[in-house]
Amino acid sequence: MSLFALHNRPLRRSRSGQRIGLGLGTNLLANLVPSFALTLLIALPIVAGEKEGEHIFRATGGCSCHTNYPGEGETAPMLAGGRPLETPFGVYYSTNITPDLETGIGDWSDADFIRAMREGLSPEGSHYFPVFPYTAFSGLTDPDLRDMRQYLTSMRAIRRENRPPDALFPFSWRATIAGWKWLNFTPLVIETNPKKSTAWNRGRYLVEAAAHCGECHTPRTLSGGLNRFLWLAGSKDGPEGERAPNITPHKETGIGTWTRADLVWYLETGIKPDGDDTQGLMSEVIEHGYSALPRSDLEAIAEYIRAIPAIKNKL
Amino acid sequence: MSGSHSIRTQEKAVRSTCSVLMLRGARMTLLVCFMASLFAVSAYADGHEADVAMTKYRQTMMSGVGANMGAMSGIMKNSLNLPGHVANHAGQLAESAQLIAAAFRTKTTTTDTDAKAEIWTDWKSFEMAIADFEAAAKTLQTAAASDDSAAVGPAMRALGKSCGGCHKTFRKPKEESYKNK
Repeated sequence: MSLFALHNRPLRRSRSGQRIGLGLGTNLLANLVPSFALTLLIALPIVAGEKEGEHIFRATGGCSCHTNYPGEGETAPMLAGGRPLETPFGVYYSTNITPDLETGIGDWSDADFIRAMREGLSPEGSHYFPVFPYTAFSGLTDPDLRDMRQYLTSMRAIRRENRPPDALFPFSWRATIAGWKWLNFTPLVIETNPKKSTAWNRGRYLVEAAAHCGECHTPRTLSGGLNRFLWLAGSKDGPEGERAPNITPHKETGIGTWTRADLVWYLETGIKPDGDDTQGLMSEVIEHGYSALPRSDLEAIAEYIRAIPAIKNKL
Repeated sequence: MSGSHSIRTQEKAVRSTCSVLMLRGARMTLLVCFMASLFAVSAYADGHEADVAMTKYRQTMMSGVGANMGAMSGIMKNSLNLPGHVANHAGQLAESAQLIAAAFRTKTTTTDTDAKAEIWTDWKSFEMAIADFEAAAKTLQTAAASDDSAAVGPAMRALGKSCGGCHKTFRKPKEESYKNK
């Protein structure tokens, strides 16, 4: 396991609204059956998948964009959205993904969740702005997505209305996204490459789909799609106006001088080989996500990253 | 005739004396201004040099902090067999923490720095951030010295977070660093 093991840092705060509903329904039974039996009756069907769900949740970086840490600090309502995400097209606000029934995703089914993550569509069929990286999440497997939803429904429900973007027409108009998708979005299909190691394949799945590294570390074209010729070679227009460095193994402009241990340690602690710390959104996705992954996953990420083509791209 | 001539001569002499005096006054004023500007330039040069020297000291001292963090990380991530070294480095960091406030107390004017003005406008918070760093370094020192492997990991993480907590508010982000000039 990693230095900061997954199960040592429980994130769940309380049961969701849905859970409370179930609990109320069984209150009468509580007087009739021993409490341990009741616990089993309730817990078994609900908890299944939660642990795996937390695993994939952490692999996405703890969905950090959905908590407004920069604006509200460490005590910001977790996963309740409202975080401004600056892009060249305007400011978009992350959405509430807590299990709140009215303002969150508490009334979503597995199918709704999978469609949102795979196709970038809401349960009502409207397009999500691609600041939500469904372009990468489309590569997640069905079981991982179901588990992740299960885990999200175990979080504390928080009521907070979603906020429309501060972007000029046509970038503020959801229908525009249909055109954007036509130009830039092909659902990601990650097939196992039998010529590569198990770790490399796992690393690819984590880097390309779950951790969605390319969304920040790959520069974008004029239409806002990823420039695949510069895959992971860094972007000046990274998240929230930050610069996302070149993470290809190029020795001068990327991280070609980093060892596998350097990369694993960095994802565990946020400390770079020169001893400096990490700032910005990357520090959050490490703290709330990657640092809690099992060591095997971090090593898989390192193996894959160190094997991608080195691209010279100085930012 | 001779009376009026004498008066004119006197007037002339007075005018001449006045003009001489005015000229001297003007020259004196110019000289004083020139001396004052020389003094100001010299004082600015001295102050600027002192600012540059202080800034360079801070940067070198903070590089030492980073070097200790890097060395300690190198031991831990590669499982190097160097008993006592992590505790030693953590101890050096705790010692360095005691130098930081004094090194930053004077606000400098040099532009070749990543120190943000918030250091001086919110000095108390800056001191608190240093105290957090020192406490985190001491916690790691204790954990490492007692070979408490379960405590070392979280302590290291907390130490890294304390660095980040201070840099987030008081150090310019990489994008705005003077090194990009």
